[in-house]
Amino acid sequence: MGALLEADAICVTFGGLRAVDGVSFTVNAGEIIGLIGPNGAGKTTIFNALVGLQPLTSGFVRLGGERVSGLKPHRVAQKGMTKTFQNAALFPDMSVVENVTTAALLRHDLHGARTKAEAVLEKLGLNGIAQADVADLTFPQKALVEMARALATEPRVLLLDEVMAALTHSEMDEVMEVIRGLRAEGLSFLVVEHHMRAIMALCDKLLAVNFGRLLAHGTPAEVAANPQVIEAYLGHGAVGKEAAHA
Amino acid sequence: MRSFLSPGRVALLLFFLAAALLPFFVDPRGHLLRVAAMVLLFAAMAQSWNVVGGLANQISLGHAGFFGLGAYTSTLLFLKLGISPWFGLFAGALVAGSAAALLSIPTFRLKGHYFALATLAFAEVMRVIANSWASLTGGPVGLSIPFMGSQPAYFAFRAVSSYYWIILALLVLVCLVFHLLATGAIGYRLRAVRENENAAEVAGIDTFRVKLTASVISAALTAVCGTVFAQFTFYFDPDSIFALASISVRMAMIAIVGGLGTLAGPILGALFLIPLEEVANALLSSKAAGLSQFAFGVILIAAILIQPRGLMAYWPKKRHPAGSRGA
Repeated sequence: MGALLEADAICVTFGGLRAVDGVSFTVNAGEIIGLIGPNGAGKTTIFNALVGLQPLTSGFVRLGGERVSGLKPHRVAQKGMTKTFQNAALFPDMSVVENVTTAALLRHDLHGARTKAEAVLEKLGLNGIAQADVADLTFPQKALVEMARALATEPRVLLLDEVMAALTHSEMDEVMEVIRGLRAEGLSFLVVEHHMRAIMALCDKLLAVNFGRLLAHGTPAEVAANPQVIEAYLGHGAVGKEAAHA
Repeated sequence: MRSFLSPGRVALLLFFLAAALLPFFVDPRGHLLRVAAMVLLFAAMAQSWNVVGGLANQISLGHAGFFGLGAYTSTLLFLKLGISPWFGLFAGALVAGSAAALLSIPTFRLKGHYFALATLAFAEVMRVIANSWASLTGGPVGLSIPFMGSQPAYFAFRAVSSYYWIILALLVLVCLVFHLLATGAIGYRLRAVRENENAAEVAGIDTFRVKLTASVISAALTAVCGTVFAQFTFYFDPDSIFALASISVRMAMIAIVGGLGTLAGPILGALFLIPLEEVANALLSSKAAGLSQFAFGVILIAAILIQPRGLMAYWPKKRHPAGSRGA
């Protein structure tokens, strides 16, 4: 049995710029993998390339051994991989439950999708705000609703792009608890996060990228001790960033 | 569950009931009933447009293309082959639906102004073809439907009220289709596409297919309106049936002034705009050329400025179970 998700030498080029340059990695079932790197390192582009929002210049993405690169995002979602957006891209004219129902329609009829949406909201402790307008939500709520919407597509691999960006420490702990619970059910995660505390506590393995290249991979402790990773961060103002988060 | 009889729905049912009874209370040969029939027909046209313009927020300025395809298909089938316009109506819907599908391939990536201009060009191309392919379409002279007295099997009636009721039935049908689309699975998907296309794709929605489906349904309904219009007016030519201002823009305008993407919006818009235009014409057309259009334009701009959400902003509101959302 091979890896659940496999990125094989993926490249994304914008004009002359190599935004993602031959990145390869694997994610196994039930793993939580962190993707770290300074701003502009190519993390979001990697996510977009994995789910089909960004066409690959070269390389392959396989999900459960099946090639998904070249498919449109909705087909990738159908195969079992989706992502959340960095700035919570919810559907603003819909209520919370409608947002989640829309995604649940991927695998259910309308009635079944509503039931599924309610179940997902319940699981994330969001049933209290199910009828709320997304415009009235706080940022952490938006991030959770977006996670709920992604979960409603019933993925095997979920890519989370900075869901904890605006969260307090206790809110972060809650979200991490939710992620661990989902992992216990067999879901795999690829996580982009700037909070090193969350990354170190949550992830089984880390992938460090800079300038679109994979710098290091391994356990959180190994990657944190990697001289190249330290240099990448120090060289790009990461010290100030950490101070801002503290 | 939401109550079936919300205030908005009650108001809509009362409107349909009043509209059905109208021919009993006005002169059956009079101008008023013809105007009322045009109000209902334009409401149906604007509602057809609303499927794409309102639910998907793809503002088309080319729906006259589908309208004219409906009128030409049914009328030519009747004049050349003797096929009843009742069948021609479905043939027109099929032709317009296919045209919409073809048009979707180059235009589906376009948004906003670009989409509007591409659709506008489509209707213009239809107009030019109808004008120049005289052997088939009769060219600039247009097509006349011969008077046949009362022949219901051939969509021909003596009384204006017969056409009026058919048009009312068409409006009810189009509203029903819109309602089923808006509240069904495709309605969720269309709103998602309208609000964030990338997020919709990632959430598993085939955005191309959703937009294509809406376009084809919208075009087919518009073509049916075109057939009914042709039967009702007995005559049309390329410049009037594929008209930018009086068909394409007016369909969009009625839906926008009434309330974009809402069920009752196109009806309110037609009830407001068509009589307003009639009154402006009656009062001002003898004073100076173009004055009535000018007055109409000024009122239109004022209406949009005063209430950008359209007349639906004054409509009885649907309540959500939790009461947290008004619209």
